[in-house]
Amino acid sequence: MATKTKGRFVNGLVDMKAGKISREIFVNEEIYAEEQEQVFTRAWLFIGHESQVPKPGDYFVSGMGEESVILCRDREGALHVFLNSCRHRGMKVCRYDEGNTPVFTCPYHGWSYATDGKLVGVPFFKDAYHEKLDKSKWGLVEVAQMEVYKGSIWATWDPAAPPFTEYLGDFKMFFDLSLEAWNGTDEPLEVIGGVQKWLIPCNWKFPAENFSGDSYHNISHRSVDMVGIGPSGTGRRDTQERADSRRLQVSFPDRGHQTGIYVLPGGSPTAASYQQSPEVADYFREAEEKRRAIKGEWGRVTGSPGEIFPNTALHPRQPRSIAVWHPRGAHQTEVWRWYLVDAGAPYAVKDFLRQYYIRYSGPGGLTEQDDMENWNYAHSASRGTIARRHPYSYEQGMGSEQTNFELDGLKIPGTVMDLTEAKSSEQNLRNFYKRWAEFMDAPSWDELADWR
Amino acid sequence: MAEVVNVRLLKAGDKLQVSHGATVVVVSNPLDGVWIFARYLASPEDPSLEGTEDMIFAQDIIEVLEISGD
Amino acid sequence: MAVSESRIDHLLLKDEIEQFLYQEAELLDERQFEEWLDLLAEDIRYWMPMRRNVKFGELDREFTREGQDISWFDEGKDTLVRRVNQILTGVHWAEEPLSRICHSVSNVQILKATPSMSQPTEVTVKCRFLIYRNRVQTETDFLVGKREEVLRSVNGQWKIAQRKIILDQNVLLAKNLTFFF
Repeated sequence: MATKTKGRFVNGLVDMKAGKISREIFVNEEIYAEEQEQVFTRAWLFIGHESQVPKPGDYFVSGMGEESVILCRDREGALHVFLNSCRHRGMKVCRYDEGNTPVFTCPYHGWSYATDGKLVGVPFFKDAYHEKLDKSKWGLVEVAQMEVYKGSIWATWDPAAPPFTEYLGDFKMFFDLSLEAWNGTDEPLEVIGGVQKWLIPCNWKFPAENFSGDSYHNISHRSVDMVGIGPSGTGRRDTQERADSRRLQVSFPDRGHQTGIYVLPGGSPTAASYQQSPEVADYFREAEEKRRAIKGEWGRVTGSPGEIFPNTALHPRQPRSIAVWHPRGAHQTEVWRWYLVDAGAPYAVKDFLRQYYIRYSGPGGLTEQDDMENWNYAHSASRGTIARRHPYSYEQGMGSEQTNFELDGLKIPGTVMDLTEAKSSEQNLRNFYKRWAEFMDAPSWDELADWR
Repeated sequence: MAEVVNVRLLKAGDKLQVSHGATVVVVSNPLDGVWIFARYLASPEDPSLEGTEDMIFAQDIIEVLEISGD
Repeated sequence: MAVSESRIDHLLLKDEIEQFLYQEAELLDERQFEEWLDLLAEDIRYWMPMRRNVKFGELDREFTREGQDISWFDEGKDTLVRRVNQILTGVHWAEEPLSRICHSVSNVQILKATPSMSQPTEVTVKCRFLIYRNRVQTETDFLVGKREEVLRSVNGQWKIAQRKIILDQNVLLAKNLTFFF
């Protein structure tokens, strides 16, 4: 059983007993450097989606922490994730974003790797190496584990990390809300072509905490709610379904994953949505009716923003998007944002969603823009010597968390906060940081996987 | 010595003079400008290579002997 | 083409279009957003594709595709109006306080004028832009690229009917796109 009573981070810099977190964890460069080792080499990280690499030879250059990696499908159809760095002298073997190739050749000295990572081409292998180089030992560095979960591709550098579905634990059913088709089936999704990538001047944990369940910052989005970019012409999304629901936050202390959810009463009528387009409205109405029929009681649950530890953010419903917050130093984050649609949806639906998604999210998104302004200046105001002496407050809702939560026959797993009357809680944020502190203190997965 | 070949432009069927006196025919081109996949047609220094396929490095290409017609 | 396109016609038209584009830049720089909206045709298409690093010989995949793929912007008049309205609420934190901005437009080329250079009702234009945006204390962005646009004469006034913005960046180096190109 892991010891989590006190460490430098657990109940130290991250003081969950008092509900306070030191600003140092956001702005301190030494802590950042430790974090690259303690968190990003050991956790499961989102790489991409299967629909991005359908054919042998297809590749997509992604990222794990600070590092560039290549997601690639080999000639036999198997997926790999490699460090994008030649084993010889480090040069990136792929400076393109995506494509199809039979080999990855390093421009520097010409070493060449097959799509399964094996070193196949070494210039002057006979003349200069006298055939003594053991090519089998010099293939591209491959991740320790890789898994495809309902189309999403994940990888970790740590062979000791639990398998991905175990890493997810009971959060799985909530992650599914981002990965299943709108009608609740396993019909495939696809990534709309083009992953948005942009730089923001803040530590990656600001957006990570935001998506973990910052239920308090709606005031920042007042302007977008006023102008109305939602798919029915008002607000930023359709709200009837939420208005009919009980609003909960769910977090999993062992795992560090958390999300918001909305739970409808049994027998609720399907709320109208996407009213700006009759064709799209029909599509979603039919999808929702089928989803509820398939899922029975669990069809009452819909998702809102969530976070898979450490840095994968989920938007399951309006919009549907997955983001990764790549660390780029303590003071900068590179955001990558994927937008998802049902692969089999008619063009009119995909076109409508595509336009809605990019006016909601991303640097041109009227909602996300205000989040980024807050993260930017929260970070910059926290860098000073005096500022760093004053921890952030994370007390909201402490003591109101519930386990074994049941709502009209639905047993919700994990730690639950009922926000319907409370309006807001910081439990999900506390959960995220508690797990982060555990990763920072723990020497290995032996201490981190204490559910075993 | 022949002029420097842009390996990117070689096509299947092109015949090349390569190092160690060998002659190869291009089988396919990975379009990396560094390697081509080729089959040995003649290899006087090491006849065991004849008929085998291998990757040929750009700097080992001495001369383009024949561009494939089609 | 009943009338031949002389150099004078071209010169006059280019000057007229340049003046229009400079006037548009002026409105944006002076934060006269509602007046700027009046320069947009009701059916305007305003979009900015994203760009990929692709292999030589595959440059047809460099840009994300219109109407298919994700772009930075894909707007009509309605959503551009909403973007302006958001700024004008005074509580759009990403533009509150307002940015300081300077639009430099150059390399204006008249690609096509219909029905004629001397009496056009629609003009296809290509130009370059350099937008300098400065925010709060030291936050500074330079956005540089090209615009391909179609201007249409409506009751004697030029309106922007189409604008395709070609930004010369892959990873966007600005934290937001709260301003107009």
